[in-house]
Amino acid sequence: MSHLPSALIRPGEAVLLLRLAGPLQSWGTRSVFNRRETNAEPTKSGVIGLLAAACGVDRQDSLSELLPLRLGIRVDQPGTLLRDYHTVSDYRGRPLPQAGVNAKGMQKPTSPVKHTHVTTRYYLQDAVFLAAVAGPSALLSTLDEAVRAPAYPLALGRRSCPPTQPMSLGMREQTLEESLREEPWQSSRRAREQHATQLGRERGLDHPLYPSRIDRSATLEDTDGDDVLHDAPVSFDPHTRSFTSRRVRHTWLNIPTGFPRPDDESIGGTPDDAGHDPFALLGW
Amino acid sequence: MTPPGPRTYIDIHILQTVPPANLNRDDQGNPKEAYFGGVRRSRVSSQAWKRATRTHFAERIPKQDLATRTRRIGAALTERILEGSDTDAEAGARLAAALLTQLKISAGKKEGDTAYLFFYGRRQLDALAALVRGRATELSALDDTELADIVKQMPVQEQFSTGHPVDVALFGRMVADIPALKVDAATQVAHALSTHAVELEFDYFTAVDDEQEKDETGAGMIGTIGFNSATLYRYASVGLHQLQDNLTDDEAAVTAVEEFVTSFARSMPTGYKNSFAHRTLPSLVAVVVRADQPVNLVSAFEEPVSVTSGIAAASARNLAREHTRALDAWGDAPAFTGLCHTFTDSDDTTELLQHAFGTPHAFPELLIGLRAHLTDVLKQAAR
Repeated sequence: MSHLPSALIRPGEAVLLLRLAGPLQSWGTRSVFNRRETNAEPTKSGVIGLLAAACGVDRQDSLSELLPLRLGIRVDQPGTLLRDYHTVSDYRGRPLPQAGVNAKGMQKPTSPVKHTHVTTRYYLQDAVFLAAVAGPSALLSTLDEAVRAPAYPLALGRRSCPPTQPMSLGMREQTLEESLREEPWQSSRRAREQHATQLGRERGLDHPLYPSRIDRSATLEDTDGDDVLHDAPVSFDPHTRSFTSRRVRHTWLNIPTGFPRPDDESIGGTPDDAGHDPFALLGW
Repeated sequence: MTPPGPRTYIDIHILQTVPPANLNRDDQGNPKEAYFGGVRRSRVSSQAWKRATRTHFAERIPKQDLATRTRRIGAALTERILEGSDTDAEAGARLAAALLTQLKISAGKKEGDTAYLFFYGRRQLDALAALVRGRATELSALDDTELADIVKQMPVQEQFSTGHPVDVALFGRMVADIPALKVDAATQVAHALSTHAVELEFDYFTAVDDEQEKDETGAGMIGTIGFNSATLYRYASVGLHQLQDNLTDDEAAVTAVEEFVTSFARSMPTGYKNSFAHRTLPSLVAVVVRADQPVNLVSAFEEPVSVTSGIAAASARNLAREHTRALDAWGDAPAFTGLCHTFTDSDDTTELLQHAFGTPHAFPELLIGLRAHLTDVLKQAAR
């Protein structure tokens, strides 16, 4: 596990923490036409889009203030992939026309006759993420206020995926990494119980184990990062919609579980290695 | 970045029990599902219920006030231009094409540029036809270049930028080529999820051949239909401020909210309706108007309701508790709450509901209360 020196907090900077949770989420990057995919984690364009919607920024408006914000995502509950079968058809039961038109300008019917157009949409189900947005304090406190009283309804990547409350967990005077390391685990009560039961079973116990900290994966924006994601928005204007890439670093963070009475003694180790980290053997 | 101004969101929470049914099926023909809180749930997609809502609108609202989604806008416009005009069909079509060029929906060209369905208001099309109707003969006499120049001066795009029909204002419109014609939806509809764990079941059926010869045995055909039965949590939110923007009329915005709440509550997707006759009405409708943010209460069911007995009542109690809990924790009191429910058997349920959402009313009274509140909100804002 790499331990890069965490950058000092720049003067006037802070972090805004957002809990991204709901039954369904969908964070697409390359989706076009009939196949609408989702990434395993929220994208930067998705989070910036959400903040822009909260502020009432229209698609044609400049995003210059929001683009320099840095994003960190922690995976509190990864969720699973849901494939949704979706069809489009004419409600009068007529065959669908094709894109081409004849000499009279009338659309030609599909041949062979096609009544239904099939599209596939992918969602993440049962997932919870913690997003940390780093930038100027003044801007973030406006964004915090906007998320609590949004101009447009907020969505987790797609309109039909409203978030559950609370979304904003408030501001932190910390670095991106510190804030993600110190915020308690946001996963559902049921998932936390399941984790404790599984942990107990792994240790050969017939009762659940409640550690004080566990490891969760995270993706942090970092100019020295070793991976490149092509999900940073440049403009949401339908005519000039474009994206650029950003450098990120994937890491594991040892985070507080928030269990009321952690029983680390019975695990037989320090809280730091309480989580299951197979890579520790390799000295990563 | 400036903080947003005053907002009004109307949240609609519905609990509805559906008997064995297959409202919205996937490519295997089985009801759609999703995992939530670690267990399998029945799911009805937002698209399916929005379509049911639109269809319900269509039965109640005069056709003139509604939009239509079609690729045949050219023919519809031609027909309107020809009404009460002595121009021939060919000239009418030419004028329509010239007008539609302004919308970059050109008809009569060989490229497939009418490739998408355009969602427009019938009144908007009337207004567009009115731009040329009186001058049809004069305009038809012009050559193509002169005609194009004159049409360019006409406020064609403007006809489609204001006075949207109710369903465009509510559900939005996407026109890829002309951002100016795009309308952001004022509603947000979530996928309906069951409040409890649901397993997929199969109905094995055989069909008997009525004309079967006596010495033959066996069925004419066999098959299975996937189905499940569920108490669904349905959630939608309407932004009144956005609806006002889309409709540019306060009275119309309040009416649109009322129509949406009615149609959303009373509609039902029709999938396999003849096999299952699943037409039910909600057991609970709670309308919550908020000035801060929409609040989706689906977390009430993250811990699935247990399936011993009375799932609907247990779900209602969970919903009431979640609403009260959110209120206590965040302290953001709603501006208005309206409740309509059918629970009578348990004092516990009715008390919890009353504590969370106020005195229950019959649905029509709930709507009257909602209308009065929203009218008030708009009056205060205008002051």
